[in-house]
Amino acid sequence: MKLSRIWPGLVVLALLLAGLEAAVNAGLIRRALMPAPSAIAPVLWGLLESGEVLEPLFATLRLVFAGFAIGSVLGIAVGLAMGWFPAAFRLLEPLVELLRPIPKAALVPALMLFLGIGETMKITSVSLAVLFPVLVNTLQGVRGVDRVMLDAARTHGWGPAHTLLHLVLPAALPFILAGMRISLGLALVLAVLAEMLTGQGGLGFLILDMQRSFLIRQMYAWLVILAVVGLALNGLFLFVERRALHWQPALRP
Amino acid sequence: MDFLELNAVTKDFPSRSGPPARVMDGVSLAVRQGEFMAVLGPSGCGKSTLLQMAAGLLPVSAGEVRIAGRRISAPPPEAVYVFQQYTRSLLPWRNVRDNVGFAVEHRLGRRRARDVAEVQLGQVGLAGFGDHFPWQLSGGMQQRVAIARALAAEPAMLLMDEPFSAVDALTRLDLQALILDIWTRRQLTVLLVTHDVEEAITLADRIAVLTQRPASVAQLLEVGIARPRDPVTTRELPRFLQLRHQLLNTLLARHEA
Repeated sequence: MKLSRIWPGLVVLALLLAGLEAAVNAGLIRRALMPAPSAIAPVLWGLLESGEVLEPLFATLRLVFAGFAIGSVLGIAVGLAMGWFPAAFRLLEPLVELLRPIPKAALVPALMLFLGIGETMKITSVSLAVLFPVLVNTLQGVRGVDRVMLDAARTHGWGPAHTLLHLVLPAALPFILAGMRISLGLALVLAVLAEMLTGQGGLGFLILDMQRSFLIRQMYAWLVILAVVGLALNGLFLFVERRALHWQPALRP
Repeated sequence: MDFLELNAVTKDFPSRSGPPARVMDGVSLAVRQGEFMAVLGPSGCGKSTLLQMAAGLLPVSAGEVRIAGRRISAPPPEAVYVFQQYTRSLLPWRNVRDNVGFAVEHRLGRRRARDVAEVQLGQVGLAGFGDHFPWQLSGGMQQRVAIARALAAEPAMLLMDEPFSAVDALTRLDLQALILDIWTRRQLTVLLVTHDVEEAITLADRIAVLTQRPASVAQLLEVGIARPRDPVTTRELPRFLQLRHQLLNTLLARHEA
């Protein structure tokens, strides 16, 4: 992105930080609730410089990536099956429609009963949150494949497996990736939440733990790290998406 | 010998209210081996439906379709359908080479399909365009890609659904000349659906004229103009003008009725 396009937004951000700083210094905001940004910055720098950030960061990223991968693969597979085989659609549609509206965060306590509070439970919660948006978008993408394209495959004697892999899947890819982009945000939410509820590991746990220990500056420092993680994940995904969909009209150079 | 036979083909489409709508009623038509036949008809008469049934893409409601003597119920290997909408039948995520390789990759594999594609692209005047994407080409060039794809399958017959209707008039003449050339060199059998009377006369050995819905064959005409034909001079022959007069009258009268 060009600097000229992002600088107005950066100015707003800087103004906000300066305003916050001034408000805290003027006593308009209680320091105990919201320390001045200039007080948070050194703590943040300390976490980064000492390498203290790495272990919790990797713990959370591991959850996000593992859950995202499992949920995406399952979502794509089930979505393709439901979109391609009418029998699979009729069989699974009521179940999917029943489970889809449940906020997946609400399932974490139940999952803890079955799977305990270890990695398995956390990855399962993240996968479940990732699964449904990917599934529903894949299904929509498969159903939207142009009939003319499918007829072209038929008149050239393509079999069902070749058609599914080399025509339906790439044709549905823009939808699949849109679903995955939504799911990536949800994956981070569920990872943080699972860490908070289980009281161990990662960024989510630390944010809660710092708050409970009245280490408010540390809490905000970890919050900033979490924000940057979210930003970086989204940026990475957009990069991959652009590469994969370089042929799309909206992305043409 | 008849290569494609339609015997008393009838097609009904289910309608939301009431009985199914009959779009085609007992159409019988035979295309001889090596013949170029055009099907003319008013728009909406079901020409494309006819062609899709001939290609095995759409089931018949009654009657039968035979290709090379065999009754077909699925797309046969001998015939390939060329679609009107090249923008929808080419894969936008594939370059031109892989779009042509589309025709044979499931039999030969991706790599050998690319070699086949290069040869076919040369045949339609697109040598060197393999790395381009469809959207980087003009409409006429995209339809050439679609034709190259059809030819890559080495079919005995082409079923063409208004293949030149979406390009400008000059490009259309160009593509007509290309198709005539390919038909002659490869001794193909062609069934071409069109609403362009001049195109039908320029290209075809015989012309079948369909009626309004439910469609049936109203006329079957022998063109009788010597070959090789030329997109410019053929159109100035007395026989051409006479056929044009007759066909337009037939089509317009039926349209008004």
